[in-house]
Amino acid sequence: MQFYGASPVNGVQDVQALLQMDLIVRERDRLLQRTARLASLSFLGVSLICLLLPGAVRPTTLLICVPLYLIIAILLFQVGRRHSLVWVLPAFAVGIVAIVLISATPDGPSEAGRSAALMLGSASLACLAVVLTTSLARQLVLLGSFVAVAGTTVLALDSFQKPVRTLALLTFSWILATIVGFWISSGVPLAVRRIASIGRAHRAERQASETEAQRRQGARLLHDTVLATLTLLAHSGVGVSADAMRQQAVDDARLLRQLRLGATPVPLASGDYNLSTPVSETVLGTTLESVKQRFGRMGLEVSWHGTGQVLLPSDVLDAFLLSLAECLENVRRHSGVTDAHVTITEDDTTVRAMITDSGVGFVLDDVDSASLGFKESVVARLKDVGGQARLFSTPGSGTTVVLEVPR
Amino acid sequence: MTYAPPEENTLGVIVGGTPRHSRRAAIKRLAGNDSPRLISLGTAFVGVGAAALVILRAIFGLIWCALQWDQYPNPFIALAAWIILLVVIAGMISAIRLMSGQLPHWMFALFLVGLAAVIALDLYAIWPLHDIGGYATSALAAGMTLLLVLTVRPSSDIIIAISTIGAALVIAIVVNVPLSGDKIAAQITAVSFAVLPTIIVLALIINFRRVIQIELGRVLVQSTLTAPRFAVGMLASEELARLDLAAEELLDSVADGSTPLPLTPKIASTAASLATELRLHLIEGRRETWLYHAITESDLLGKSVTLTDKGSLAGLLNSEQREGLLSTAWLFITDTTKRGAKNSVHITIAPSTSVVAPGLEDKVAIGITITSIGVVRNQIDASTWDAISNVGTYTDSMEDASVRLDIECLVDNPASQ
Repeated sequence: MQFYGASPVNGVQDVQALLQMDLIVRERDRLLQRTARLASLSFLGVSLICLLLPGAVRPTTLLICVPLYLIIAILLFQVGRRHSLVWVLPAFAVGIVAIVLISATPDGPSEAGRSAALMLGSASLACLAVVLTTSLARQLVLLGSFVAVAGTTVLALDSFQKPVRTLALLTFSWILATIVGFWISSGVPLAVRRIASIGRAHRAERQASETEAQRRQGARLLHDTVLATLTLLAHSGVGVSADAMRQQAVDDARLLRQLRLGATPVPLASGDYNLSTPVSETVLGTTLESVKQRFGRMGLEVSWHGTGQVLLPSDVLDAFLLSLAECLENVRRHSGVTDAHVTITEDDTTVRAMITDSGVGFVLDDVDSASLGFKESVVARLKDVGGQARLFSTPGSGTTVVLEVPR
Repeated sequence: MTYAPPEENTLGVIVGGTPRHSRRAAIKRLAGNDSPRLISLGTAFVGVGAAALVILRAIFGLIWCALQWDQYPNPFIALAAWIILLVVIAGMISAIRLMSGQLPHWMFALFLVGLAAVIALDLYAIWPLHDIGGYATSALAAGMTLLLVLTVRPSSDIIIAISTIGAALVIAIVVNVPLSGDKIAAQITAVSFAVLPTIIVLALIINFRRVIQIELGRVLVQSTLTAPRFAVGMLASEELARLDLAAEELLDSVADGSTPLPLTPKIASTAASLATELRLHLIEGRRETWLYHAITESDLLGKSVTLTDKGSLAGLLNSEQREGLLSTAWLFITDTTKRGAKNSVHITIAPSTSVVAPGLEDKVAIGITITSIGVVRNQIDASTWDAISNVGTYTDSMEDASVRLDIECLVDNPASQ
């Protein structure tokens, strides 16, 4: 859309641009309408005060004019709510009638009466010009109503004050209101165009943010170790030797620094990564060994059984090791025993790990609903790579988790 | 190095404590506090328009002054008032052009002193005539001159100044003019012409800025329309980076021994909360859809829209449907005819049981229910219905004081992609 300074690429964007345009036009009109209502009603109030001053007009004239003022007020109120000219034109008509009635009061209006009429014609009705600038048709209506209101006011007050003076005041105030109308109706689209360019910048930034978040979230294995270390620290590092703890902290801090400095981490092994060498397939065995070492440092003896020479794509390996480490972490923290067994088996399509402990076990239903950790870090991540996890446990007789990933 | 725990907790963004934080931060980052981009959002335009109004008003007043030249006891005092006013106007216009940002206090004070001098001189010039409303010129134009500082001073300053001018005029009138008979009306109209235009234009500009703010919010939220099915929030990477850095600092301090092991309870609990936050941030994003991010990142939507989307089905909508849904929510919230009225919208997205028509087997149907409180059925604008029909076929019904829309929406089957 031209309005947005960008060319439409397809129909969808075109529709969007039109819809946005529509929204802005509505916002602009509502702004103009509310301004016109506020201004017209306040000057109408001033005019009414002048009219009510003692001796402004004869009581009979007052009796007719007050309801007319009320009608104008209702019409002006509606002008603030609706875009339609249906409310604007009657307001002008009733206003003209009121001006004529005031100046035709028997013996002529006093100075106060003339002020009331002048206030009505040159201020209250003039402020309606604010809503009459947005289209050619409205501008013509504006011109017509100015001629009608100004003509009537000048002629009606002709015998009381110099017509030049009346006309000057009328012209000035109508021009002022018209300027305000044009000012706002062109100011809103101008600002909106600038906002649209901010929107484009924001979209680019969202994409950049997305990419960066993915890079960091993608470093799952790294975060897994960091999380494990942080969890240990959260328990004040109790239960692990200070040296082992410090060594782990050195490793993890180095990894985080590399991540921060922009390396794209392709983790080779939990607890011992190589962040900058991309490897598409990795041997499981070496990495399993480092997982074992890491848990050894934390006081959980892991025994490996079965094959150690399985090649896996790095993303699958990632999810597999992450889930495995998460399960071992659960064993370490909740089972109450200090050793766990991991059995790795494979067939043509699947690599399977069975993590067994002889700890306290638990009721399965509790885990399904409550354990965010297991669901998120194990089930969800395995699912991402097409794998699955199954959990077997009974209170008192240990826990077995089976993790499966496709080869 | 002594380890200092991070000051800011990012959990609020997830658990909903301060969802506005992200959007405001985004605007701040995009535009900066003093970058010309946000400042220039119509502000220069507002300034030019205000200057035009002030100058026009001054010319009109000058003509009036010239017409009553013979009636002044000493016209040169009134002329002096006008000269000061013109100098003040010219000085202020050039000062605003030359500087950026807020007008310094001393300059604003000087401006006000100038206006006070104008009013005092003009009133002094016509004091013997005992009809301030009938003869004051520059004293009445001075009120409108305050519009010049519309863009460089807070609105409250202008309100206080114009109120003071109004009060000064009223006091002068009460003291000077015999308030009987015919002269009262002229006094009333004069004061209202001096004060009301400024207040009206000020109200207009305040509303103008509100419209711009809303539009800015809407445009920022629209960047979610092109997001993938599951997306991370706008600040996800920043939060992750901050958490990573906090973890790195903690681990570093443990590694080099500056934080002794075992840790003090305070640092231990910092480690615990870091771990929790990091865990949540790592799983966050992949679970939330564009609609969730749009709602939480928007000042306006965040306050009044609630979302139930257990299956994250919103992510399946194409960008046209997203635009329609977002616009619908937006229009329901902003389309209040009453100022200050609070509408609220609840969006529920769930799988639909209805059978997909033949020929569209690769599509699945999802049901979107929009319940909005505070919206009146027959006051919903035509453009809102257009937006809704962009989402899908709909039926609408009234329940108590709320409008309920049931939208049947066809989306690409994720299983066949």
